[in-house]
Amino acid sequence: MSQPDLALLLTVLVGLALRGLGLLLGGALRPDHPAIAWASAVSVATLAAFVTLAIAAPAGLLATVPLAARLVGLAAGGLAYWRLRGRLLPAMAAGLAALLLARLLTG
Amino acid sequence: MSAGQASRQGVTEALGAPALAMGATFLAFGAAVAEAGLPLGWALLCTGAVYGMAGQLVLLQVASGGGAALPATRAATAANARFLPMAVAIAPLLGRRAPRWLALPFIAITPWAAGMRRLPALAEPARLPWFLGFAVASWCAAMAATAAGHLAAPALPLPLRAALLFANPLYFALLLAADAGRPGVAPALLAGILAAPLAHAVGGAWGLPLAGLIGGSLAFLWQRWR
Repeated sequence: MSQPDLALLLTVLVGLALRGLGLLLGGALRPDHPAIAWASAVSVATLAAFVTLAIAAPAGLLATVPLAARLVGLAAGGLAYWRLRGRLLPAMAAGLAALLLARLLTG
Repeated sequence: MSAGQASRQGVTEALGAPALAMGATFLAFGAAVAEAGLPLGWALLCTGAVYGMAGQLVLLQVASGGGAALPATRAATAANARFLPMAVAIAPLLGRRAPRWLALPFIAITPWAAGMRRLPALAEPARLPWFLGFAVASWCAAMAATAAGHLAAPALPLPLRAALLFANPLYFALLLAADAGRPGVAPALLAGILAAPLAHAVGGAWGLPLAGLIGGSLAFLWQRWR
């Protein structure tokens, strides 16, 4: 087995183990147990940090989109979400369209 | 609501904005795998079985650049370490009976975020069927998008793929903003934003889980003690 294939297999197994351990621990606790609230807070904070980084300082291909275009996309998505009373799909379409447009305009 | 109705509703809800957000990201992933010269089967196995984009990107980097299996696994696991607290947090909503294990391979960021919003309002017997409906539909969307991205890679220019990668953070930004009113969410949200520079400074695969752990723990403690 090649190294990349072995890495894929091991990552899949560890991922399943992490999920299984989480289900086991969370399933054994009362829904109002502090550990459940802590796990939720860590999950939300991780997600918020991911979104912040992806918009402010992304890595990889997204970094080729200028910051101004990313901010325009976020603002347009947020504005559309608010104006359309929480309809996600058109809000996302508006955000992506605005990002593409801003990118065209900024070169 | 019967179990069948709940799972159909889960499918319907997955095939809107969540499918768009995931589809765009996995389309870009499929194209990147093709560009790295790896086969469609590798891309589908990676999406279907790892099912966590951060870890998938680490694996892709290793597979295309050459590297040893153990450091790659460590980095990919760190990138997907969020699976553990996410599974703990959603477990009580999936019930205590054996069928909840069916949800195991689908615990990933999109079904998790949707489940945490939606499940508390559903009657207990409807929760697991709803989650499985949502999870299987979004997993199928991710698989289809990966395959489409791999096949259509030459037709997807880099600027378009870069824009597609924005769909995911935009989706979660909107969800988090909408959820800020739910109990316990706002402090963790703010702590995560404030911890982002730490993730950036630490960098690599460990930066994000470390920032989430510190930010989330501080938000939790602040709420307990105030």
